[in-house]
Amino acid sequence: MEILFVLIPLSLLLVALAVGAFVWAAHSGQLDAGQDVAARVLRDDEPPRP
Amino acid sequence: MAADPVRDWSVYDRPALRDAVSVANARGREILVAVDGMHCAACVARVEQSLRDAGSVRVNLPARTVEFSWNPARTPLSGLLRALDEAGFRPQVFDDDASLRAAARARRRELARLGVSAILSMQVMMLAWPAYFPDWQVEPALDQLFHWTQWLLATPVVLYGGWPFFRNAWRALRQRLPDMDVPVALALGIAYFASAWRTVAGSGEIWFDSATMFVLLLGAGRYLEGRTRSLATARLRRLAGSQPLTARRFDGVVVVETPVAELREGDHVQVRPGEAVPVDGALLGVPAELDEALLTGESRPVRRAPGARVLAGSVNAGLQALTVRAERLGAATHLSHIARLLNRAQAERPAFQQLADRLAGAFILGVLLLAALGAFLALDRGADTALAIALAVLVASCPCALSLAVPTAVAAASSRLAGAGALLANPAALARLRDADTFLFDKTGTLTRPGLRIAEVRPLDALDTPRALALAAALEHDSVHPIARAFAAVPATLRAGALRHEPGGGVSGTVEGVRYRLGAAAAVPAAGAALTWIELADDTRPLALIGLAAPLRPEAEATLAALRQRGCALELLTGDAAAAAEALAQPLGLHEVRARASAEDKLAHLRALQAQGRVVVAVGDGVNDAPFLAGADVAVAMPQGAALAQARADVILLGDSLAPLPLLLDTARRATRIGRQNLAWALAYNLAVLPLAMTGALAHWMAALGMSLSSLLVVGNALRLER
Repeated sequence: MEILFVLIPLSLLLVALAVGAFVWAAHSGQLDAGQDVAARVLRDDEPPRP
Repeated sequence: MAADPVRDWSVYDRPALRDAVSVANARGREILVAVDGMHCAACVARVEQSLRDAGSVRVNLPARTVEFSWNPARTPLSGLLRALDEAGFRPQVFDDDASLRAAARARRRELARLGVSAILSMQVMMLAWPAYFPDWQVEPALDQLFHWTQWLLATPVVLYGGWPFFRNAWRALRQRLPDMDVPVALALGIAYFASAWRTVAGSGEIWFDSATMFVLLLGAGRYLEGRTRSLATARLRRLAGSQPLTARRFDGVVVVETPVAELREGDHVQVRPGEAVPVDGALLGVPAELDEALLTGESRPVRRAPGARVLAGSVNAGLQALTVRAERLGAATHLSHIARLLNRAQAERPAFQQLADRLAGAFILGVLLLAALGAFLALDRGADTALAIALAVLVASCPCALSLAVPTAVAAASSRLAGAGALLANPAALARLRDADTFLFDKTGTLTRPGLRIAEVRPLDALDTPRALALAAALEHDSVHPIARAFAAVPATLRAGALRHEPGGGVSGTVEGVRYRLGAAAAVPAAGAALTWIELADDTRPLALIGLAAPLRPEAEATLAALRQRGCALELLTGDAAAAAEALAQPLGLHEVRARASAEDKLAHLRALQAQGRVVVAVGDGVNDAPFLAGADVAVAMPQGAALAQARADVILLGDSLAPLPLLLDTARRATRIGRQNLAWALAYNLAVLPLAMTGALAHWMAALGMSLSSLLVVGNALRLER
């Protein structure tokens, strides 16, 4: 069971990464309930710009 | 689409105005505009498409707003606004609103707190499980590792995720009005700090898992509830922001598009037909017809004589450009005053919510007293037991489920309705909607689409129908009058010169050397009473009669049938003539028709129905029926109607369709039923668990589990509404 003394701190690191990513995403508006995200898939690709 | 000419947007490139309507961000500037004409996912895609040159476009369909950022050095703002306008989505620009932006930031912060709580409390739970099996011996070193790790993981949840509870509890205590947050904060504080102390001491039970679960579940309930409220706020803000930001000022002989902020008192401003007056001021020159719907809710145009005072926000409903001398500007105008009133109304909590809060408030005082009492009685069994009992009472009987019972049902119902195109502006209306048994419909703009279309053409002379239409379209080409919009669909094959608007709503002009006139018909043809007739004439004789009708909404028939099936009585109330009303009502199967009803008649009839004990839902657009809407048990407004009518409305049909009405009724009935189930469960649970917690029979984990399951049950029950 000694391996837990390594694995638990390791898992803490991973959790910290996940939390950090979530907080960043929330604050930068990535998770805003915008309807455009769902609609984007319906849109044709943009024509290549000259 | 109405064939309004695309506006001149270049004034928004002026630095002063541009900076007033947008804020700087990392990539340039950021702006929030409201757009008209956006109804569905396909529209959202088109809005996005037209804003190709902008960055990070965020479209909010229910609130009808678009947020985007752009780089002023590369793309002018006017280009983006014009692109929107040309795509058929006329943007409505308003002063950058700090409060709206702050609300968006607060929402993101809440979500971040919730996410952090969710991720970390799951980790805590994984490490806490050995504590639930006392017979299972974990080696002491591992036990210590679990405890310290739990502490590390629980700290952000309690101090960051649970921060709003501590902040609110502190505020409530300072105002001497303890609310639900007080026992929550107390329980959180006790659980967290006692556990931390015991982790350091190396012995005793720890309660990190209960604390984090508590934060997560309560936070989730609050987030769900807050989401609905912010939507309604954004929508109302858009209505209040209808003040024009630019004006056409006379500079000597020319007229220059100028930001309203640069106007001075005494400036002369031109207001073209269909445009809103930008300032409070005095009318110069000609008499005016003004639509003051935004200010009074009454949208029958009113006449103003030269010299009379006109108010900012009223719309020039006449056919001539007006000149107004500016007297009051900006924040001093009447419209700004109304916008402030609206904001204040939004900030007030509905009475309904206050009742639930008061109920919970009484409970809370009891819970606090009982927790103290339980701890005091258990003192002889040791301080640890006393603390555990106090915590069990605080956690198990905290009226969380009680305070979540109704708001979650309302939030779920609102969210379901918003998805279907009905904005529940006043949650209290749900309870009244449940009992609704009578629907009163307005005709124009409600059962029919706003705007007129050509229904019939009767040539009176050698003229053929296409030619008559082409002549009429040429005459109406530059007008913004509602009648002119009916001709927008006619291909423009002729051009009229020397156009002149004539008194009485007519227009005249020269086509191919002949002078023509289009105006109200002198005589209405037989068997055509249901239509509005106008007459095309040259200088000597009438040439053709054109009948205009408001098209029936395509969904009206099915909607009315569905309402009738639900046992509701339906009636039509209209200011129109009996013939027109009957022509519309027959195919819909509407037998109760009151034609030629004035606003007072409508209100009187409504009162009579209410006196018979009927619960009346009024559906209208605020045009001629604002008092009628205000008097109904539940007011449902169409989105094209007068803004103030919408501000007072309980439900706004955002999709500009009647189709959500049956769903509205069903959802209200289900929501009240579910709210009652929730309340009953929460009360029963709290009363049953209190004695157990008081005697110490309830372990902390049972208390936390009971509270969690109780809250989850309530939330889950409410979420059934979203389907």
